[in-house]
Amino acid sequence: MSFDNAIQGYGRLTIFMIPIGIAINFVGGQFALLLKLPVYLDSIGTILVGATCGGIPGAIVGAISNVLNSITSPPTMAFGILSIMFGLLAGWLAKKGVFLSLTKTLLSAIPFALIGGVLGAILTIWIFGGLAVGGGALVVGALTAAGFDINTANFLAQVPMDILDKVPTVLVVYAILKGMPKRIFAKLPLGYIYLGKRPGAAA
Amino acid sequence: MIRDINPIIAFLVLGCLAIIPIWITGLTAPLIMCAVFVAISLLAGVGRQFIPGYLKLFLAVGFILFILRAAFEPGSHVLFTLGPLTPTLEGAIGGARFALVVMVLCGALTLFAALMPAKYLMLALEEHGLTPRATYVLLSSLQAITDLGRNVRVVMDAQKSRGIETEGSIFTRSKAFFPIIAPAFLTAMTQTEERAVALDARAFNSKTAHTRLAFFRRPRLWEYVLLAIAFAGVVLAIVGAALSWL
Repeated sequence: MSFDNAIQGYGRLTIFMIPIGIAINFVGGQFALLLKLPVYLDSIGTILVGATCGGIPGAIVGAISNVLNSITSPPTMAFGILSIMFGLLAGWLAKKGVFLSLTKTLLSAIPFALIGGVLGAILTIWIFGGLAVGGGALVVGALTAAGFDINTANFLAQVPMDILDKVPTVLVVYAILKGMPKRIFAKLPLGYIYLGKRPGAAA
Repeated sequence: MIRDINPIIAFLVLGCLAIIPIWITGLTAPLIMCAVFVAISLLAGVGRQFIPGYLKLFLAVGFILFILRAAFEPGSHVLFTLGPLTPTLEGAIGGARFALVVMVLCGALTLFAALMPAKYLMLALEEHGLTPRATYVLLSSLQAITDLGRNVRVVMDAQKSRGIETEGSIFTRSKAFFPIIAPAFLTAMTQTEERAVALDARAFNSKTAHTRLAFFRRPRLWEYVLLAIAFAGVVLAIVGAALSWL
């Protein structure tokens, strides 16, 4: 089966991490809404699983979270590719050791925000003609009314909003990675990074 | 009876119904389809779960989509001017159509979720050869969302009692985010280890075919007829649209 092939070689714990990652995405987003914060915070789980288990499991978390979110808000489906890329990018950055230092972790918010902001804006323009749902659309609408053309307005609105979203996201990821017991890292595919070992030392 | 339909057939039928209005211009087709979904939910006895949620979606998603399009799409028939906003007739009609088509797609998805418990769908997919590992991931995600949501509330109450404020200015509220979310998520990640051991003990990773307690009956003939009608509807809509373009 394709699913089995996709997660083969990622160890036994990965399959149990994926549902937790999905739940973290979901609950993080709900909690941001509950506190009425102007950010989504709905990709913490994707990045977390990407950083501990690898890019492919991270991408799976992103994809499934997206499908589940689409049940209540189908326009979200159009942005599924973003979640998948967040997962892949997190896996790649983790292998480079980015999540080991706080400064590098903070800087990693920039590539995440560029994917989310630029690609998100392009998708909004392609699929929804520039006006999707959500708080961002109101800003875009206001900017067009202020005289910007709709494409510029999308980029102007989405890139800063995504930086605002990804900085706390990567900070939570960093805090959780710091707090995870070493015992768990020993069982995770990318755990060796956080234990300061070479690949293959832990499996 | 509707709820006894094989989950995969139900999914395909609803999917066909949802995409028919895409090829029919005008506002009537998507409106009728929304009404059809409401009727199906009433017939199946899930109206109570489906209709309030669907109305909420209409207000939260459909209405906003409509307003945004109506307010910002350019057109020549200006309805009225409100500050910098000039809603046009074209924008209003285009917005209404776009919002309704999106609402039809929303309706099909939420109706399916109301009709079919997720575990039936997963069982049906397993019968069609999906690996139990994939269905485990999907089902346990749904469970984990409920569990983690409950844990976050517990941690929130605990932190509140220690004096962390969750209301007030935006700065106060964002300060509450870390001390609540981080411990809850951390616990969830570390608990996976126990879960892995527990499921290993139940032969989750065994390569032999799994046994089960519940089985589906074979889909009846009328279920296939229903699917054929829905599919014919899509073909008709596409052919009709293609003819009108020629």
